[in-house]
Amino acid sequence: MPTLWWLKFLLWRKKMTGLPEPLNQYLQAITPALSCTFHDAPLMAIDLEMTGLDPKNDQVISIGLVPIVKGEIPLAKAQHLMIAISGSVGQSATVHGIVDNQLHKALTLPEALAWFLSQTEGHILVAHHAPLDIQFIQQQLVRCFGHSIPLVFIDTLAIEKKRRLQQQDILQQGSLRLGASRARYHLPVYSAHNALVDALSCAELLLAQVAAMGDVKKLTVKKLIDVIR
Amino acid sequence: MDASELQPVEQFLAAHSPFDSLPAEVISRCAKNITVGYYSKASAFVEFDTQNPKLYIVRSGAFEVRDPDGVLVDRVAEGECFGFSTLLSGEKVVNKVAILEDGLVYHLPQAIFAQLRAEQRSFDQFFARAFAKRLRNEGRFKAKDLTTTSRITSIMCAKPIIVQAHASVIDAAKIMREHRVSSVLVIDNNKLVGILTDRDLRNRVIAEGLDVDTLVSQAMTVNPISTHANALVFETMLTMSEHNIHHLPVVDGNKAIGMITSTDILRAQRSQPLLLIGEIGRQGNIDSLIQVSKQIPLLLQNLISADARAEEIGRVLTSVTDALTRRLIELNQQILGKAPMAFCWLAFGSQGRQDQVACSDQDNGLLLAHEPDEFAAAYFEALTKAVCKGLDQCGYVYCPGDIMAQNPKWRLPLNQWKSLFKHWVLTPEPKALMHASIFFDMRPVFGPINLFSELQDDVLTSTKDNDIFLAGMAGNSLTESPPLGFFRKFVLERDGSEVKGMDLKHKGSALINDIARVYALSAGIKEVNTAKRIRALMDANIINRKDALNLADAHEFIAHMRLANQGYQVTNNLPVNNFLKPQHLSSLLRHQLRDAFKVVHDAQAGIKLKFLRSF
Repeated sequence: MPTLWWLKFLLWRKKMTGLPEPLNQYLQAITPALSCTFHDAPLMAIDLEMTGLDPKNDQVISIGLVPIVKGEIPLAKAQHLMIAISGSVGQSATVHGIVDNQLHKALTLPEALAWFLSQTEGHILVAHHAPLDIQFIQQQLVRCFGHSIPLVFIDTLAIEKKRRLQQQDILQQGSLRLGASRARYHLPVYSAHNALVDALSCAELLLAQVAAMGDVKKLTVKKLIDVIR
Repeated sequence: MDASELQPVEQFLAAHSPFDSLPAEVISRCAKNITVGYYSKASAFVEFDTQNPKLYIVRSGAFEVRDPDGVLVDRVAEGECFGFSTLLSGEKVVNKVAILEDGLVYHLPQAIFAQLRAEQRSFDQFFARAFAKRLRNEGRFKAKDLTTTSRITSIMCAKPIIVQAHASVIDAAKIMREHRVSSVLVIDNNKLVGILTDRDLRNRVIAEGLDVDTLVSQAMTVNPISTHANALVFETMLTMSEHNIHHLPVVDGNKAIGMITSTDILRAQRSQPLLLIGEIGRQGNIDSLIQVSKQIPLLLQNLISADARAEEIGRVLTSVTDALTRRLIELNQQILGKAPMAFCWLAFGSQGRQDQVACSDQDNGLLLAHEPDEFAAAYFEALTKAVCKGLDQCGYVYCPGDIMAQNPKWRLPLNQWKSLFKHWVLTPEPKALMHASIFFDMRPVFGPINLFSELQDDVLTSTKDNDIFLAGMAGNSLTESPPLGFFRKFVLERDGSEVKGMDLKHKGSALINDIARVYALSAGIKEVNTAKRIRALMDANIINRKDALNLADAHEFIAHMRLANQGYQVTNNLPVNNFLKPQHLSSLLRHQLRDAFKVVHDAQAGIKLKFLRSF
């Protein structure tokens, strides 16, 4: 079976439809990463903080980006960005610890998206419960560009679920959450929660999962992406 | 973007030495330069990047550093580092690092490490010490010769007799007569300027026909050869023999802090344990035995100053006590005549466990082969009273709890000892449990071994797998906990406004003794020495290897700290006790002590789980 044929098909179909140039360029750039091993692939762990869980109506408040390079996380390249939103942060402030006056140096949504695309171009995204974050990004793309694109991602939650099921574990409610998953790999508990810390947590979790799979040298990103199917 | 948001990383660094002493902006700079890696047991060993050496800071998990011969060099857990040997020595990596437990590791690049060492003295010192400690560990089991490795401060006279340079020789001679010394140090303006000895008085004053009002400065030996406080006894002996002198001032800068004579050195050698035990065995009467026992504190000082292992010190001191006890029994039997029946002199508590230290009191009892008649009862009363009195005079004071063979309650025939132990085991009330912690650490010091074995076998059969008794013992062992509070801060004891420090005996060593005792009794293990108990428990797979090794290390470390602290108290003329003030420790030692307490804490949790879960 050709590598990630389904994904390549999606990418190809999108290219046909006359995308705005930034999105088209972004799609072109991802292709080389798809045939890499885990060790060589450019990976970017992401986490979004949102005002709610509905991609259509809720907004993104902040984005954390933490790259994984050659199986390690260079903290120097970790980034955190605030986005200006319409209305107040409201209820979710208690969760994220973000208050309105912290948002004064925030970027506008188009600025933030341009930044996101430039930083993650050519990278495979990594997130815990990735489909939610991906949908949010795609929805923001629609708002700005009128188009969405398929994004290539690795979902640490899906990996964890598969690994647990392979070990014939019974999946308890909440046992796949980021914190619970990390605990199984002796990863530390972080008391702070924001997009940056959670992106870092997710990146660390992926390193641990990959190490536990064994034979890290031969592991391809294809195998990791394919988990969600 | 604002990378100071790497809060979890910064917080972690700020909570662990040596980073804890760095200013916040430096910690933030470290955090920004770290890369994070994850190591899994699946890969067995850490793969080193030989091109880019770095400092590995363990965030979670456990690692073991082994040298090329496979000998354990260091065990590294959360908050500790490895890889620094290569960074410090510049040599290529030779040690192997095994992954014991999966974990996250922060990598600090060489450039930043070098920068921090250059900028921050405490940081540099921390790793220099850690490196030195590893080197020392390598030679840890090499035999130590006391005479050569003891420091001069442990045997010198700390309050030297002095005279002023402008005093007259007759005044100096009077001072020397008063203090019965053959030499005095001569001081001018608080500085050491000379030494005046018997020989100087004879050769330079009397033989020259000088007046008794001659100034000391005219008769003394100017600028005498001296030694410094950190010199080894060995070096001092060399100096003396090279210059053919017998008195040596000990100086710190140009201030005299002590005096050492060839007699002091001779005495120090005599207090070597083997010689001392031999000497005890040769003494023909009780008075001379008491005289010999006066060397015991000096022996302890020498052992501490030679940096002997705490376990060895405990065993050496206990064998001296044993020898003394045996000799006292023999000498008294020469007076009282042959015993009317077989008997065993039992040692309990610290003597039983072979971990005696300074100022131990006696804990002993007598085991008789069978019920004594009136004559035998009188004989053993006289014998035990004499031996206990002798021990008291030799410095082992009477037991405040009256647990001594001279107390008829603890001078019993075999069947009564058996039923006494049975009673404690079957009705584990608080008092019985308190007794148990002393009496279950018993060891025969004098008498036929089979008599003792009969009692011990009986006791161990009744305790083995006896859930109710063991639960009581376990509960009793959990009444105290190591002095660690939240966030691993030391908890200090106070006496009014004065901070007493940490009680290393009752909140450290004693807890480990308790833990080892509960396990040993549960498994019917005969050893009573705590280190031996732990080893036996490990061999029998009752405690897993890692926990057992950790517990044994913690036991040794805490006992060592306690002895070193007492050594410090003695040299500085402070009252000797078990309280340690953490501010007297280097950050590395504080760090290790905290780890040792953590091990005790975990072992207590293990005891709780194993013996108390059904209650």
